[in-house]
Amino acid sequence: MDFVFDTISVNTFWTILLIVHGLLAVALLGALTHQAMAVVMPVRRAAGADRFVTRFRAVSGPRYANAVCVLWVITFIFGAWIYTKYRIHIRIPIEQQGFWKTQGVFELKEHLVTFGLGSLPIYWYLWKNPGNPEYDSARKWLTAWLAVICWYAFLVGHIVNNVRGFGS
Amino acid sequence: MSALNGSSSSLATSARFKTFAIVFGIATAVLYVISDMARLPLFTYHPGTGRIDLGWAPARRDEGPAMYWYGWIATAVLGAAILGILAAMLPKRVTRKIPLSLAWIVPVLLTPVLIYSLRFFWRW
Repeated sequence: MDFVFDTISVNTFWTILLIVHGLLAVALLGALTHQAMAVVMPVRRAAGADRFVTRFRAVSGPRYANAVCVLWVITFIFGAWIYTKYRIHIRIPIEQQGFWKTQGVFELKEHLVTFGLGSLPIYWYLWKNPGNPEYDSARKWLTAWLAVICWYAFLVGHIVNNVRGFGS
Repeated sequence: MSALNGSSSSLATSARFKTFAIVFGIATAVLYVISDMARLPLFTYHPGTGRIDLGWAPARRDEGPAMYWYGWIATAVLGAAILGILAAMLPKRVTRKIPLSLAWIVPVLLTPVLIYSLRFFWRW
C-alpha cells in the first residue's frame, strides 16, 4: 500500500473508499427498491403507465437479481474493509462523546447486512425461477426484507458519517 | 461467457442448489446470532496491531480494541455452508418439506434478538 500513500494521504485514501462504498450502496438501493416495488406492488394493467410511480414499479424484477447480488457483495467487502479504520478512528471518539444509540444502530446495521449476505443465494435462486408460482410469496417477502435492510443500512451509514465521518 | 451463463442456468434449475441456498440462508442467520451472543467468533482481529487470535480473545492492554464481527461472519458462513452442503445431500422427499418462507421469516424473527444483544448501547 506504500505506493498509494506516496501519492495521496491516508485520510484521502479512506475517504475515497468510503465514497466508493457509498456510491455502490446508492446503486444497490436503487436496484433493490425498483425490484421490491415491482414485486410487492406489481403493475397489473396498462392504465396510468405514464405516471412516475407506475413506471418506477413497472420494471422487470428478474433483470435486477444478478446486479443486486454482485452489488451487495462488493458493497459489503468495501464496508468490511473500512470497518477496520472505523473501529479505531470513528467508533472510539463516538463512544467518548457518549453517542451510544448512534453506535448501537450502526452495530445493528452490521448485523443485518450479514443476514442479507447469507440470504443472497436463495434470493438469487428465487429470482432465477420467476415463472414458478410456488416461489412467489418467498420471492416477494425476501426481496422486501432485503430492501428494508438496505434502506436501514444506507440511512444509518449517513447518520454515522454525519456524526463523525473520516477526516473530521 | 456462454459457459458462465450455462453454469448459472444449471444452478438456477438445480434442486440441490435450492436446498443448499435455503439452508445456507437460514443457518447463516441462526449461527451468526449464536456466534455473537455466545462469543463464538472463529477468530478475533486486533486492528491496532493487525494481530489475529483464533476464537474469542479480549482486547490487549495498550493495543487498542478487539474486533469480533469478521470472526462472527466466518463462523456463520462456514457453518452454514457445511449445513447447506449436508442438506443438499438429503433425499428430495425430505428437502422439499423445507418451507421457503423460512428464508425471510427466520432473519426477521431474529432481528429483535440482535436488538436485545445490543442492549448495552440503548442508554437514555
